[in-house]
Amino acid sequence: MFLFDNLSNLFIFLIILGVVPNLFYSFGYLSHIKRKFYYLIHYFAFILSMIGVVISANALVFLLFWELMSLTSWQLILTQIEGKSTIRAARFYFFMTHFGFVFLLLFFLIATNGNLELNFIQMKSIVSHFAYPTLLFFFVVFALLSKAGAVPLHVWLPYAHPAAPSPVSALMSGVMLKVAIYGLFRFMFDVFGVWQLEWGVLVLIIGAISSLVGVLYALSEHDIKALLANHSIENIGIILIGFGMGMIFSSLHLATLSSFAFIAALFHTFNHMSFKSLLFMGAGSVLHETKTKNMEKYGGLIKSMPITAFTFLLASISISALPPTNGFLSEWMIFQSLLSSSVIDNISLKLAIPFSVFALALTSGLAIACFVKVFGITFLGLHRSQNAKHATEVNFLMKSGMVLMGFVVISLMLFTPFYIKLFDNVIYGLNQTSIYDKIFPNIWSLHSIAYNGGVVSPLILLAGLLIITFILYVFYKMLNIKKRVFHTWACGYNTSSITQYSATGFAGPIRRFFTWLYDPDIHFEKEIITGHKSKFVDAKFSVHVEPLFERTLYRSGVRLTNKISYYIYRLAHFEQRKYSAIIFNMLLSVLFSYRIFVHEFSWSTLALESVMMIISVKILLVGSKR
Amino acid sequence: MILYISTIVVLILLAPLLTNFIKILKMYLLYKKPVSIFQGYRDFSKLLSKEIVLSKESSSITQIAPFLVLSPLLLTLFFLPPIAKGEYYVSFVDAFTITGLISLSTFFLMLLGLDSASSFGGLGSSREAFISALVEPAMILTVFSISMMANSLGVGQAGVNLANHFPYEHMASFIFAGISFFILLIAENGRIPVDNPETHLELTMVHEAMILDVSGFYLALIEAASSIKFIIFASMFASLFMPFGLNLPLLLAILVFILKLFFVCVIVALMEVNGAKLRLFKVPNLLGIAIVFSFLSLITFYVLGA
Repeated sequence: MFLFDNLSNLFIFLIILGVVPNLFYSFGYLSHIKRKFYYLIHYFAFILSMIGVVISANALVFLLFWELMSLTSWQLILTQIEGKSTIRAARFYFFMTHFGFVFLLLFFLIATNGNLELNFIQMKSIVSHFAYPTLLFFFVVFALLSKAGAVPLHVWLPYAHPAAPSPVSALMSGVMLKVAIYGLFRFMFDVFGVWQLEWGVLVLIIGAISSLVGVLYALSEHDIKALLANHSIENIGIILIGFGMGMIFSSLHLATLSSFAFIAALFHTFNHMSFKSLLFMGAGSVLHETKTKNMEKYGGLIKSMPITAFTFLLASISISALPPTNGFLSEWMIFQSLLSSSVIDNISLKLAIPFSVFALALTSGLAIACFVKVFGITFLGLHRSQNAKHATEVNFLMKSGMVLMGFVVISLMLFTPFYIKLFDNVIYGLNQTSIYDKIFPNIWSLHSIAYNGGVVSPLILLAGLLIITFILYVFYKMLNIKKRVFHTWACGYNTSSITQYSATGFAGPIRRFFTWLYDPDIHFEKEIITGHKSKFVDAKFSVHVEPLFERTLYRSGVRLTNKISYYIYRLAHFEQRKYSAIIFNMLLSVLFSYRIFVHEFSWSTLALESVMMIISVKILLVGSKR
Repeated sequence: MILYISTIVVLILLAPLLTNFIKILKMYLLYKKPVSIFQGYRDFSKLLSKEIVLSKESSSITQIAPFLVLSPLLLTLFFLPPIAKGEYYVSFVDAFTITGLISLSTFFLMLLGLDSASSFGGLGSSREAFISALVEPAMILTVFSISMMANSLGVGQAGVNLANHFPYEHMASFIFAGISFFILLIAENGRIPVDNPETHLELTMVHEAMILDVSGFYLALIEAASSIKFIIFASMFASLFMPFGLNLPLLLAILVFILKLFFVCVIVALMEVNGAKLRLFKVPNLLGIAIVFSFLSLITFYVLGA
């Protein structure tokens, strides 16, 4: 019923790392929540169900805990209902997660041949004899990536995460998405075992698109939690790039390279857990103090909330993949595995991979811009509203939660060899090659195993930075320079909170450059003085960006369904004659399709019978136009 | 080892001279009376002795950021390719780390811009964020392609390999990568088609806007950082794309290397004199050219092997 192999244990470790600081934070946050008992019971059930998913050994238990995880998190979103938007977000989440569940169920029904109590190893023999493995792979992709939030099934994240209470969004984004990644590892290795090259390419493409889409929408967002949720899409994309490269290398029989890419994906999974939880906690503290999610209302919080600000800064540097932090190390590994694609013989694949290098590099550049925006607008400058002015540092429990998570981030940076050793054991346990000795010949430096690969050494980088900064600081102290405090220079005027750059303004150039993607909805109202367009007393500028995928894929799906249902409605004239004609046609189509698809198939009968169906529908149902 | 340390010291000492040299050349070409060749050092020493004026609105970031703007760049100097044969060099550090360190410095510079609550700072940060985000992909693709030709991802090792074995057989992709890298050199250092370092007009400012509220010792750190950033890029260009002279006798090799640095300065100065600054929203076109050239370089390397 349960299994505790290396992969499960690793993800239990991940969940524990994510949950322990969150518990502190959560208890600090509890005073903010009205329905305490309701919250706590769902919170613990949520944590237990996540652990349940990663240790379950057969399909039935997996499905049970998976569904429990979805339901408890759905209820947690509904803890604090603030107007209709929360309910709509929860409903959207409920729908999306069950969309995935249906595919998961289909997958298990086929993979276990109907007997849901089989374990993963027993499933493998059934799957290997199944005629259409690609169908099963697509079921897995739909099931897991709708949970993980990869394009195009990512649309629920920017709604669900902001609606949930902050500790829960930290858990959902930091840990729950990783459970879906666990599923990917478990199903790919234990149930499939072997795969085709195209599957890896598909995962790589999904990853590259997700990472770009996530970061671009994050930049246009000014609700801080929705912004972080969009960054989760980006990071899941980065993990999938690593995973996809691993799958590609593995199907090309490049064993060491594939292990390297899988280790990179696992490492980024851990890193994303650490810094994204920390960022959500920091955002939650800010939200707790200022009572608003709108970034334009923050500003200057570093003065009143130093601990929140500096832990947030640590996480920002890490998520922007700047050296020497852990985020940099895992992105470095993923870059290295992309660059080692030069050994691939297939020329079209070889030419395609630089495009995902491009996507990943652009993503990391935009992520830096985005986190400068988040940190700069939220914590620096002047207070942009009264709420921000009255903010104070959060309580001790919340602070300790953030600091503990900060330690997790730092430990991932300092003890990289230890973590890589763990990942290597897991990969070895999944019948891949063990490459720890090649990555870390000594514990000081991390080697790429590509043919002409590079080396990075987090400890030397960190030590070098600290030493140089220290020398500069000593030099500064020796000069003994006087300091004077004065106004910011603003061309003779005083600076005030409204003359600062806003979050919308900060992302302005990027929004303008990617205007084909954003298609922003801009409202600019001004009260004009006596007909002069350039002079106005009062002006209001607002930009709203609606995500492309929602606009096209989802809205047009809704529109199509509406149109079809309209035609069906037109058919129903509430006349007995029409109903009997419908029943007759249905009967005819069932008989014909049985004959064609089950009994025997031939193109000529298909053509003949479809013509007959069309004639029958035309004469009996549609009739002549009156 | 002594040579290694002294090279770094020489590079640090040379940094203000080079940026000042560009200025002198430009003034000369525009029929102005050039400033002294030592003006860069004079500015620096003057800034050291001045008092620091802190903005009332700023936070502790203003006091931390200038150090963290300079220190990653100083660390980068240790990882550059050697300039003479037999010199110790760090062979293993690859270009991602160097790009990352430069980004780290830019990250803190952008925060510094936002910290003083002035609209200039935000303006500069926002533009810098936009430009540096688009520089990143071109940088990494160029590095990818040059590492193929040099047979090593490590920057130091790549410099040595290129000097020992010039890639005649891959000349096309080598030149494409060189063009791309030169555009990046201009964009990252805020030279004229992208940013004008000499003006204080809000329409054109990028780098200067961010540091408008920084003074005294902190300004000295930031100015040092920008000239060191230039010398990092110039010496990477000199070692990777003009890979000759490494195997000459020691003094001659150093001389050739310094001449190459001055050559880069001359090209930059000529471009500055003969070109106008691009509008901010035309800058992506220039960077797009860099991205296209880096792709071209990779594709010619893969497909044609040329």
